[in-house]
Amino acid sequence: MIELTEVLVLAALLFCISVAGIFINRKNVIILLMCIELMLLSVNLNFIAFSHFAGDIHGQVFVFFILTVAAAEAAIGLAILVVLFRNRNTINVADLDSMRG
Amino acid sequence: MVALYQVMAIYHFGRRGVCLYGGGYVEQERKTKNWKLKMLEQVVFYIFGAVLVTSAGMVVTVRNPVHAALFLVLAFFCSAAIWLLLQAEFLAIVLVLVYVGAVMVLFLFVVMMLNINLAPLREGFAGFLPVGLFVAALMLTAMGLIVSSDHVLPGLPPAAAQPPIDAANTELLGKTLFTEYLYPFEIAGAILLVAIIAAISLTMRKPAAQRTPKPEKQVVVKRDTRVRLVNMESASPPEKGDSGGLSQRSQGGKQGDNSD
Amino acid sequence: MSITAEIVFLVPELALLILACLILVCDAFSTDPGKLLTYRLAQFSLVAVLLLVVYLYPDDAVSVFHQHFISDPLSAVLKVTICAVSIIVFSYSYDYFEERDTLQGEYFVLGLFAVLGMLIMASAYSMLTVYLGLELMSLSLYAMVAMHKGSGTASEAAIKYFVLGALASGILLYGISILYGASGTLVLPELAAHVSARTETDVLLVFGLVFVVVGIAFKLGAVPFHMWIPDVYEGSPTAVTLFLATAPKVAAFAMAVRLLVDGMEPLHIDWQGMLIILSVLSMAAGNIIAISQTNIKRMLAYSTIAHAGFLILGILPGMRLDVGYGYAGALFYVIVYAIMSLGAFGVVILLGRKDHESDRLEDFKGLAERSPWFAFIMLLLMFSLAGVPPFAGFWAKWFVIKEVVAIGHIWLAASAVIFSVIGAYYYLRIVKLMYFDQPEHMTEIKASRQMRMALSLNGLALLILGFIPGKLMDICTSVLGF
Repeated sequence: MIELTEVLVLAALLFCISVAGIFINRKNVIILLMCIELMLLSVNLNFIAFSHFAGDIHGQVFVFFILTVAAAEAAIGLAILVVLFRNRNTINVADLDSMRG
Repeated sequence: MVALYQVMAIYHFGRRGVCLYGGGYVEQERKTKNWKLKMLEQVVFYIFGAVLVTSAGMVVTVRNPVHAALFLVLAFFCSAAIWLLLQAEFLAIVLVLVYVGAVMVLFLFVVMMLNINLAPLREGFAGFLPVGLFVAALMLTAMGLIVSSDHVLPGLPPAAAQPPIDAANTELLGKTLFTEYLYPFEIAGAILLVAIIAAISLTMRKPAAQRTPKPEKQVVVKRDTRVRLVNMESASPPEKGDSGGLSQRSQGGKQGDNSD
Repeated sequence: MSITAEIVFLVPELALLILACLILVCDAFSTDPGKLLTYRLAQFSLVAVLLLVVYLYPDDAVSVFHQHFISDPLSAVLKVTICAVSIIVFSYSYDYFEERDTLQGEYFVLGLFAVLGMLIMASAYSMLTVYLGLELMSLSLYAMVAMHKGSGTASEAAIKYFVLGALASGILLYGISILYGASGTLVLPELAAHVSARTETDVLLVFGLVFVVVGIAFKLGAVPFHMWIPDVYEGSPTAVTLFLATAPKVAAFAMAVRLLVDGMEPLHIDWQGMLIILSVLSMAAGNIIAISQTNIKRMLAYSTIAHAGFLILGILPGMRLDVGYGYAGALFYVIVYAIMSLGAFGVVILLGRKDHESDRLEDFKGLAERSPWFAFIMLLLMFSLAGVPPFAGFWAKWFVIKEVVAIGHIWLAASAVIFSVIGAYYYLRIVKLMYFDQPEHMTEIKASRQMRMALSLNGLALLILGFIPGKLMDICTSVLGF
C-alpha cells in the first residue's frame, strides 16, 4: 500500500529538482522550459495523490486543467524561443544581458 | 515500454484477482494475498519513483538538449505509471498521449530546428551548481519535514473511511467536468485559442520573407506567358543584349530566346 | 438557479469573448495596413463591456456556476477600472505603433484576451478560476511582449518574462495543491470555512499559504521576487510596457484579495507577517535603486516595485472592519496607481519618435520650453507619483497609511512615510530636468489629437481626484459594505 506521505515526498523532490534546475541552468533556455514542465508535473502528482487518498474527483479535474494550460504554455514558450533565436542567434541564458541598469 | 505494460498487466490482474477470489478463500489466505499485493504495489511505486527522480535529475544536468528532452519523456512515462497506481487512469493516458505524443515532440522539433551550436553551451555551469544544490537541499529539507509530518491530512477523512474512486474514472471525470466545471472549461478553451493565435502570429514571417510556392499562380501559367517567339533576321549577327525588351512579359524568370 | 439565470451574470465576459473572436476574423480578412477597423472594433468592444458591467452593477454578492464565479461590488469596481484603463492603453498604443509602422492586429486581439483574463480574475471565486484567469492574462501578455519581432531586446524581455512568470505560476500552483490537500476543496468560501473551523494550527495550511504568497508576490513584482520587472519594462515596446504596468496590476490586486482575504481570512495573522516583510523590502529596494537609474522606463519599473510595496501594505488590514475600512485603502491605491502609471508611460510614448525612443532621462531636459502644456501634465504625474499633496497619489498613500495605523502598526506606517520621502527625490529630479535645464534639441512634439486629449484628461483627472478624493473613497468603502 502506498502512503500519502510517500507520494508527497516524491512530488516535493521533483519540485526541488526543477527549481534547482532553473537556478543551475545558465546555458540553455530550452532546458529552463523543460524544468517548468517538470515543476507542473510535480504539482499534478500532488493533486492526484490528494484526490486519490481523499476519494475526491476534484483534484483530478484540476490536473486536467493544468495539463491543458501547460500545453498552451509550452507552445507559447517555444514560439518566443524561436523568435529569440531568429533575432539574437543564441538561446544561451548568459548572453541575455543586453539590459543592465 | 515493455516493462511498463508488464507492470500494468500485473497490477490490473492483481486487482481483479482480489475481486474474483474474495468470496471463496479463507480469511487467512486472503490476508496474505492482500499483503503480497500491497507489497507489490509499494515495490512498483518505489521503482518508478526512483526512475522518475533520476530522469528528472538528468533533465536538469545533462548538457545536450536532445538528451534532456528524452529524459523528460522517461519522466513522463514514470509519472504516468504512478498515476495509474493512484487510480487516475484517464489522466495517465492523457499524459502519455498529449505530453509524450505532442508536447515533447514539439520540444524536439524546436531543438532540431534551431540547430544550436552545442560547444558554447557546454562551458561554465559548475559555477552555479553549489548555489542550485544549496537552494534545492534547503527547500527539500523544509518541504520534506512538513509534508511527511503527522499533520498531513487533518482535514480529510482517512483513506480507509472513503471509498476509493471507482474504476469508471473517465466517466466520473467527464460528468464532473461538463457539469460542475462548465465555466472553467470554457476558460480553458479561450486559453487554447490564445495559444494558437500567439504561436502563429509570433512564428509566422512576413510573406516577403517566405519562399513558399504559390500553386494558384503556377497552375494558370500558359505557354505564352513564359515563352515568346521572336522573328529575327538571319543575316544580322545574333544579339545577346536584347533580353531587356524580351523580359517585359516574362514572369517566372525564364526567358525564351528563340531565333530562326 | 437555472443555467439561463446564471449566464446573465456572465454577460460582460461572454460579450468580450465573442467580440474578440469576431475581431480576430475581421482582422484576418482586412487588407488595411493601418488596422483602423481592428482598432475601432477593439475600442468598441471594451466600451461595450464597460457599459455592460456598469449596467449589471450588483447590489450584493451572488456566486454562480458552482461557486466558480462571483458577482459582487468589488468585482464590478475592478472590472470597470480594468476596462477603462485598457481603453486608454489601446488609444496610446495605437499612436505608438502607427508612428513606427509596426501595427499588428493581433496586438489588439491578444490585448482583449488579456482583459478577459483580468475580468475572470476579478470575479474568480475558486482557486481554479483564479489560476485559469491568471494564465489567460499572462499567456496573452507574454505574446504581446514578444510581438515586436525585429527587436532583440523585446524577445529577450519576453523570454525572461515567460520563464519567471511560468515559475511563479508553478509555485502558486504548488501552494494551491497543498491547500486543496489540507482542506479538500477548491472553492474559496469553503476553504475559508474549513480554515476557521480547525481547532489547532495546521502546519500544512500555512505551508501552502507560503507558496501562494510567493506566487502573488511574483505577479505583483514585490521584492525579493521582482527581478523580472526592470528588464521586461525596459525591453518591451513602450506601448506594451504601458499595458503591463497598468491593468495587470489591478488584476494582481484582485487575485491577492480573492486568495488571501476571501479564501484565507482566518489565517490573517500568518499572511500578515509575510506581507509586512514583502512590503518593507519592496518600498526600500524600489525607491533606493530607482535613484540610480538613467532610463526612464527602468526608473518607472523600480517605482512600480515601490508602489507594489505600498499596495501590499494596503492589503494588510484585510477585513479588520472593526477598526477601519479594511483593504478599501488598497483598492483606492490600485485605481489611482493605474491612472498615474498610465499617464507617465503615456508621456514617454508622446515624446518617442520613430527613430528615437526618448526613454533616457536626458530626453526630458527642457521639456517646459518644447511643450509647456505636456511638461505641466508630466509635472502633475510626477507630483502625484511622489505623493505630494493635494494630488490623488497623496490621498492614496494617506488612506493606506491611515488603515495601517488603525490596525496598530505604527512603525510600519513610519517606515512607509520615510521611504516615500526618499522616493520623492527621483520624481522631483524629472521635474527639475524639465523646468530648469536647457533642452538638447527643439524637435516638435507630434501626436494625434486623440492622444493629446487623452493624455491631458489623464493628467487632469489626478488633479481633480486630488481635490475631491471623497467620491472615489466612498465607492471603495461601499465595496466592503460600508
